Amino acid sequence: MPTLRAIAPTLVSAALFAASAVRAEPYVPTNDAQVIERLPGGTDARGDRAMRAMRALLARRPADLDVAVRFAQACVDRAKALSDPRPLGQAQAALSPWWDAPDPPVPVLLLRATIRQRSHAFEPALADLDRVVAREPSNAQAWLIRADVQLVSGDHDGARASCAHLEGIIATLCVAPIDGVDGASASAHASISVILDGPAITRDERLRAWASTLAAELDERLGRTADAEARYRASLAIDPFDAYTVAAYADFLLDEGRPQDVVALIAADTPVDNLLLRRAQAEHRLRSADAARSRAALAERFAALHARGDRVHLREEARYVLELKGDADAALELALENWSVQKEPLDARIALESALAAGRARDVVVIADWVVRTRLEGARIAELVRRVRAS
Amino acid sequence: MKGVVLALALLGIGHAVCADAHKPSDSYLTLAVHDGVVRGHWDIALRDLDLVLDLDRDGDRRLTWGEIRTRETDIDAYLASRLALSIGDAACPLDVAGHAIDHHSDGAYVVVGLSASCPRAIDALTLDYRLLFDVDAQHRGLLKLAAGEGGDTTRAAVFDRDHRRQAFTLAGTDAGSALRSFVRDGIVHIATGYDHILFLVALLLPAVLGRQGRRWSAVPRLSVALRNVAATVTAFTVAHSITLSLATLHVVMLPARFTESMIALSVLVTAIDNLVPILPARRWLVAFAFGLIHGFGFASVLRDLDLSGAMLALSLFGFNAGVELGQLALVALIVPVAYLARSLRSYQLGVVGGGSVAIAMLALGWLVERSLDLKLMPF
Repeated sequence: MPTLRAIAPTLVSAALFAASAVRAEPYVPTNDAQVIERLPGGTDARGDRAMRAMRALLARRPADLDVAVRFAQACVDRAKALSDPRPLGQAQAALSPWWDAPDPPVPVLLLRATIRQRSHAFEPALADLDRVVAREPSNAQAWLIRADVQLVSGDHDGARASCAHLEGIIATLCVAPIDGVDGASASAHASISVILDGPAITRDERLRAWASTLAAELDERLGRTADAEARYRASLAIDPFDAYTVAAYADFLLDEGRPQDVVALIAADTPVDNLLLRRAQAEHRLRSADAARSRAALAERFAALHARGDRVHLREEARYVLELKGDADAALELALENWSVQKEPLDARIALESALAAGRARDVVVIADWVVRTRLEGARIAELVRRVRAS
Repeated sequence: MKGVVLALALLGIGHAVCADAHKPSDSYLTLAVHDGVVRGHWDIALRDLDLVLDLDRDGDRRLTWGEIRTRETDIDAYLASRLALSIGDAACPLDVAGHAIDHHSDGAYVVVGLSASCPRAIDALTLDYRLLFDVDAQHRGLLKLAAGEGGDTTRAAVFDRDHRRQAFTLAGTDAGSALRSFVRDGIVHIATGYDHILFLVALLLPAVLGRQGRRWSAVPRLSVALRNVAATVTAFTVAHSITLSLATLHVVMLPARFTESMIALSVLVTAIDNLVPILPARRWLVAFAFGLIHGFGFASVLRDLDLSGAMLALSLFGFNAGVELGQLALVALIVPVAYLARSLRSYQLGVVGGGSVAIAMLALGWLVERSLDLKLMPF
């Protein structure tokens, strides 16, 4: 697997922090040269300097909308690139002079919607986007984000209506993910393939990576395993740091019964909880000696999120509780709470799996019906629905 | 150009579904309250501190111990400006000292030691937390607050952008130590309340004497003196307990300036009465009547604490008991000496007479000062 081997070292170097599963007592270092902490973003010195300069400019001119929006946008991009939520709080702070205003400017509304979406505050995010499109009916970015929020929260018709305001390649890329969970994976795949093979997209590498990941997911849903793997690898060859694609590929490998490849793909000290979860699941299935360490690190991270009152990682926590803690009832509670907020294929799946493991199929009949009604494709989800309905 | 912007926006939707990783910013504040002193430690992520203090001087994105150690003064000053502890309106000055490093699930933290001593017993602690909100709106401060003898009750709280100031009632968690602290408050109040002490002294000095007109004579037996003392102290206690309770429960409220002036007047009148009889001969009646006034004075101490419910009952009982203990100590100090010296002319004229003149002068000063709201007296 040449691609995999090429990716693994970069992922290892991307892991900036050691997941110290074992807590030690506070200590006083004795050597001034000792490195205590590696700050995020160290791989991109020019980006770091630009960020620092923008932060300094913002400190001098906190009421300058243009400066604040540029800084906040950079923070949101950075949060995405590093899979790190901290910059989102920094973006929000930069926008604070307008954040609580009754009618913020459009750029602030768009950023606020994005930040709210990341905190799974879908309703307020939609309200922001509605105000943008009311003021600027041709704002494509607003329609795109709106379609995505609607899709994640299960409103497929609303998402389609949002995409209908777009034209050309953007419209196609907007509709394909909806088709993909709406019983039209094949036609979605066909339109994505046309775009991927066409000339327009080759100019933008990151867009090509995104489209490749989407195509891989559609291949997976259509049962085309070899094609799916090729698409995932093509996407990772372009952007090996993309946590979403790494997680999706890891799930694919776990489903294919290849946990050893997941261990090779994801570094043990990954700072990204979603990725650590997949690695811990893989180690668990391999009965690896490292399984206990990863599980303890995950437990510590979930405990830290609980302590601050975050309810954003419920889907991942349900998977952790089901497979690594073996508590199907607790997993089902988490999965159901998660389902009340977001309704993607993975959300349906963990709910059905938890209910079957807990012997409480009746609790998820509604979700099984939803899967049937939306015509979500895929052999695994179909099997889960069949078992829920049979019991 | 527009195509690129749209394409980037599109990327946003693809990856927005990827759940957040790493962790949002938190600080960990661990405090324990014991005997009027707050102690604990505060863990702040180094990457957060770098945002506001620019710790990474050489810009290599690696924080060395030297870069942190040489900035300890700046770190302390910054942290001290971002956290305030208080009881009601009274601030508990915060001391930040000692630096260590610890690791939490998302990286290295600097750990600073905290201590704060409050001006009075800690029953309700208010924390004003302002760390980092100006640069990270999703930052949260995670507090663990232990109270009681062995830190046996621990409370958890979260400070965020919209909840920066929170108050915690502590005494209710440990009735035993709360009661002790109220008893202590009561003793301290009587020991440092010179007006109450002088009133008692003016009442007690003649308790070993009998009176015919303007003349005093020694009581024949100890039992007579003790009966006098017991009647006087009991009447005073019963009276001030009644008004202390009424005032603390907000049944009867009197302006502080009025009660303080009346207390001064009660001291003045009692001292004059020792020289020239102007009050009823039965001293316990005098003690009772003026005791009512002194009770309102005691109540102002408890009202400042702003207590409620079970804590209020506990505080009333404890504070009153403390006042009683202080009174009894005063009795034990004065009465034996007074009894032994009762027949001496120097006692009757010098101590009772001269003392009463001195007390009357002092009380007159207080009366003028308090009724006119001036500041004349050193205490």
